[in-house]
Amino acid sequence: MLTRITGGEIIDPANGRAGIGDVWIEDEKIVDPPQSGQADRVFDASGCILMAGAIDIHSHIGGGNVNTARLLLPEQHKAHLPRPDATPLSNAGWSTFQTGCLYAKMGFTTVIEPAMPPGSALHTHLELADIPIIDKGALAILGNDDFLLSMIRDNASSQAIDDYVTWTVASSRALGVKVINAGGSMAFRENVRTFSFDDVVPSYGITSRQIVKTLQASVNRLGIPHPLHVHCNNLGVPGAPDTAAETMSAAEGLPLHLAHLQFYGYAKEGKRDFASAAAQLAHVVNTTPEVTIDVGQVMFGQTVTISSDEMRQFFARVSASPRKSVIYDWDGNGGGIVPYRYRPDYYGAVQWAIGLELFLLIDDPWRVFFTTDHPNGAPFTAYPELFELLMSRDRRAEVIAELPRSAMKHSTLPTLAREYTFEEIAIMTRAAPARLLGFADRGHLGAGALADVAVYRRDASIAKMLGSAALVFKNGDLVVKDGEITHYRWGKALRVNPPVEATMKRRLDEYHQSRYGLSLDWFDFPDSAIHREQPFGEVPCRT
Amino acid sequence: MAVAWIGNREASLEQAVEQAASLLKASRCPVFTLDTDIHGTRAAIALAEQVGGAYDVAGGEVMARETALYTDKGGIFADASETRRRADVIVVVGSLPDYAWPLIAELAETVPDLSPSNIRRFFVIGDVDNLPPNSGTATNLSCGSSGLGATLAALRAKFAKRKTAAPVENFDQFAAALAESRFPVFLFSGKGCDLLEMEMLQGLVSDLNLKSRASALHLPASESGWGSMFASGWMTGFPPRTGFGSGHPEYDRWRFDVARMIEAGEADVHVWVAGRPDAPAPSHAGPSLIALAKTPEAVPGAAVTIAVGTPGIDHDAVVFTYRTGTFRTVDATEPSEAPAAASILRSIAEVITPGVPLPC
Repeated sequence: MLTRITGGEIIDPANGRAGIGDVWIEDEKIVDPPQSGQADRVFDASGCILMAGAIDIHSHIGGGNVNTARLLLPEQHKAHLPRPDATPLSNAGWSTFQTGCLYAKMGFTTVIEPAMPPGSALHTHLELADIPIIDKGALAILGNDDFLLSMIRDNASSQAIDDYVTWTVASSRALGVKVINAGGSMAFRENVRTFSFDDVVPSYGITSRQIVKTLQASVNRLGIPHPLHVHCNNLGVPGAPDTAAETMSAAEGLPLHLAHLQFYGYAKEGKRDFASAAAQLAHVVNTTPEVTIDVGQVMFGQTVTISSDEMRQFFARVSASPRKSVIYDWDGNGGGIVPYRYRPDYYGAVQWAIGLELFLLIDDPWRVFFTTDHPNGAPFTAYPELFELLMSRDRRAEVIAELPRSAMKHSTLPTLAREYTFEEIAIMTRAAPARLLGFADRGHLGAGALADVAVYRRDASIAKMLGSAALVFKNGDLVVKDGEITHYRWGKALRVNPPVEATMKRRLDEYHQSRYGLSLDWFDFPDSAIHREQPFGEVPCRT
Repeated sequence: MAVAWIGNREASLEQAVEQAASLLKASRCPVFTLDTDIHGTRAAIALAEQVGGAYDVAGGEVMARETALYTDKGGIFADASETRRRADVIVVVGSLPDYAWPLIAELAETVPDLSPSNIRRFFVIGDVDNLPPNSGTATNLSCGSSGLGATLAALRAKFAKRKTAAPVENFDQFAAALAESRFPVFLFSGKGCDLLEMEMLQGLVSDLNLKSRASALHLPASESGWGSMFASGWMTGFPPRTGFGSGHPEYDRWRFDVARMIEAGEADVHVWVAGRPDAPAPSHAGPSLIALAKTPEAVPGAAVTIAVGTPGIDHDAVVFTYRTGTFRTVDATEPSEAPAAASILRSIAEVITPGVPLPC
């Protein structure tokens, strides 16, 4: 079928296209205008903006920790309102079904779950497969696992490390690799209560830095498109800016992605030992071109923090609101689920400001990514409001006026006049994520791209405009019309698939037999286990 | 061989599916009881939404209190892998599910490889008979005949250096073991603990973590039930005992207690999904029973019986396993023509709303 979307303002920075024009779709792909000029169906997009479908690089949308958060907080589902109700289970609060619907309504068509424990990859993929409409992907967690830490301690060869990373990524159907407080969970199991970048993991004699550098180098050698995705040590701790800066400086010319940088922006200054260090961090990012970051913006309200940084979550229990939490001493990273309410008090206001400062002080929209670290900083349903804050200094001023002045004294935010343009929004949420994740087929509107297209009707309210798309096409299929879901379709989980080396597989089988009393089969699964047609799509590694 | 029955009469599969769909369409309050694999659970929940039903798992009372530990309080939990590799002290709290006995034996036969300790010591709170045979020696901790909850409370008090009404037998030995321990793990289940006892145990674990590390391994009373709990969580946001009668999912552990709904006469159709051949069939006189069961004959009293396969025996399956604390695939050990419950449930849904497939 040939589809023409006509008369809209096209914003496609990856192809340098900006202005009124047409987008043509043939079946699942975007095509050049056909010579005939005849379409099977035409959509009038006059008064609208057209962008590629948005890509969220860091949103906790599925897996054991997310599901435990649901279990822990049945009373919190209202945090994810409003609920569409035209399609099965889409009105189930904070369900996988609702997740897909709400993302699609905002014009997001690909979302990455950034923390998949390899040992429970099947669980993660079962959940992702029940998220309708959008494509997904997941990053496999390494860096608190005995096998890797032992190899580093024993000076294993780069080849052996690469073989292990390859097996992990391939067997868990991951899109890339994430490290979370490298070595921190292993240290916490031995009752270590603080852990920084150059601290030593007990029993292994290796530092967090060594773990990060080992994984960064391996991911790069293997040609996995997405750089190592790093959740630094000392998240949320006053003084963490130094840790984040040290980690960025350790990139040493190779690509490195730092997740939710806002949570490391707390300077130990002022009478409360809590002030914004966003300007310092933004300077480091601006002067370290091999580094990319996502923000993890805080928005006010109730949420729940979900993290595989077990040590951090253990200490966050005391601030749980409501007063309940789950801490997992699971094999590998473990994790924790701690509900939290961001209040517009001094501390909440500083956190809110830091995120916005990072967005506004980091010069290059290709290296700063739009996230709330859903749901850690805020549910992703807060995105429309966040877009408005980035694009309107007047809106920022309105919110600032309601916040404690003492907090704003410790932030540069009130002085920042920058307003994001639609082109910068398109870079940050479309073109740049595609480049960062190695997607050639999306994030742009050029011929040959998947026809993931979001059409927004212009409105004085940016939040209204970007929160409810007029039209959304996924693979050329119209799935949202006038802000409502029309029907389900089932996307894929995107993965890399490097070839696994047989010797490593044998070695891992022996390891699992001796250490867990289980064969390696317990930790792998066939694609057919997912019960969806073609549940996975492959993203090629660099050659 | 017959695979479907309407009442006691043999029927074709299509006829049985039609009859089941007819009963569900006419029902004002259908309820579902689940004892199946993950895909059977997914299809059942999706069908429950379609017909406005409520669902629970088999043995729902025990699992309701296990889920209540999470919904009401939370806690600190280890998995079996970390327990095997790191726990140098094991404390068995109350009776555990029979399926966990091989783990206890395995823990007795091995030592932790991720701990500087090269021994593993065992203690029991409750009845020593809760330990399986050949699981090694264990030291009993008890406050006489005061029961599990009182012993746990006394242990908390003793560690907090408060007075207790009764002494805890072998406390000094236990305190000395914990002082040396790097990672003690308490094993418990809703099978052997009520909610207050589980909360008291988590209080003790939390207290111990103020200065050192400790954790708790939850061994759910039913593995299939716990797997269904996970699927229910991601599909609806809630654990089982969720109902769709109002058009959207509502979780209420009393209102949607399926056994209570049947007994109180609220339910008019009961869909029983059980793949295990030894699953006890419901014996109620109230609602019309649609039985999807591993059976060679009509289930007594059922309005409709459809024979389904056993997950992992007749067909490949995805199941929850306590051993890794997550899902695994199980290949069919005796592949047969017996259909998976999920496929029957989808067929019923297709009859109820033709052309609108279930989302699972």
